[in-house]
Amino acid sequence: MTSYGALFWAYNLIWAVIAGYLLHLILRLRGVDRRLAALEREADRAQPER
Amino acid sequence: MQAYEGSRGSSRWSGPGTLILWSTTTIAIPLALYMAFLYAPDERVMGAAQRIFYFHVPAAFVTFFGAVTIFASAVAMLTTRAPRWDHWTLATTEVSWVFCTIVLLTGPIWAKAAWKGRVGDWIFDPKLATTAILWLLLTGALLVRRAAASEELGARLGAVLGILAAVDVPIVHKATVWWRGHHPVLFAPGKRDALDPRMRLAFLICTIVFFLLFGLLVALRRQLAEVEHRARAAAERASNEGRS
Repeated sequence: MTSYGALFWAYNLIWAVIAGYLLHLILRLRGVDRRLAALEREADRAQPER
Repeated sequence: MQAYEGSRGSSRWSGPGTLILWSTTTIAIPLALYMAFLYAPDERVMGAAQRIFYFHVPAAFVTFFGAVTIFASAVAMLTTRAPRWDHWTLATTEVSWVFCTIVLLTGPIWAKAAWKGRVGDWIFDPKLATTAILWLLLTGALLVRRAAASEELGARLGAVLGILAAVDVPIVHKATVWWRGHHPVLFAPGKRDALDPRMRLAFLICTIVFFLLFGLLVALRRQLAEVEHRARAAAERASNEGRS
């Protein structure tokens, strides 16, 4: 083992993959959650008209 | 597929269970890093390179455990056709895929030090080959959902590929015993545990942290699948009402 460069990237890679995936999930969940809330509000508004 | 009977309004993705998982994992990650980098001693032959063991092996354990959960939820989904089992199957497949990717990325970097190869060299080894097959099956189980003509067909095909991935896990586990190769046999009946007690404790803590991470990610991904399902159903209802 002459260089620790590969190890440095290996350790960072693990946490970068996990953190990136976690962030991706949170952002997607927030986006879909907002879309669902908007659709349900729209449905509630449309209901009394009928 | 049956209609999903979910609660109205926003999702409960910050419910008490998820919050407990969040806080426990947030506290446990720095502890795992301390144990792996500062508490555990250097290994005699590989030195600092061996410390990737505390992340590479727990990631493999979590992938294997993930495959077992895929199997259980996929069988439940295929027999009941309930969307909630499909959400579990999708969540466990995707999170297992993430951990399997970590295993495949960190393995070559560790092998560079241990086997004196270059990063990027694919040294043929039964364990590596069967793990690559596992990764391909998990990838297929995720991609087939996007390619299928309908959501239901995609869910069924995803479940079948997920079951095949789970079947591959015992083969990955036994690959080195059956066909030999470069990869060390870590756990086998009668094999003496050569780990230093401090290394063993660090390994145990890191394994627990990876399982906590798996639980947190599966909980979030399952909730995302559930909210997406409800949003699709609501959008469909809205378009039907607009037409009538």
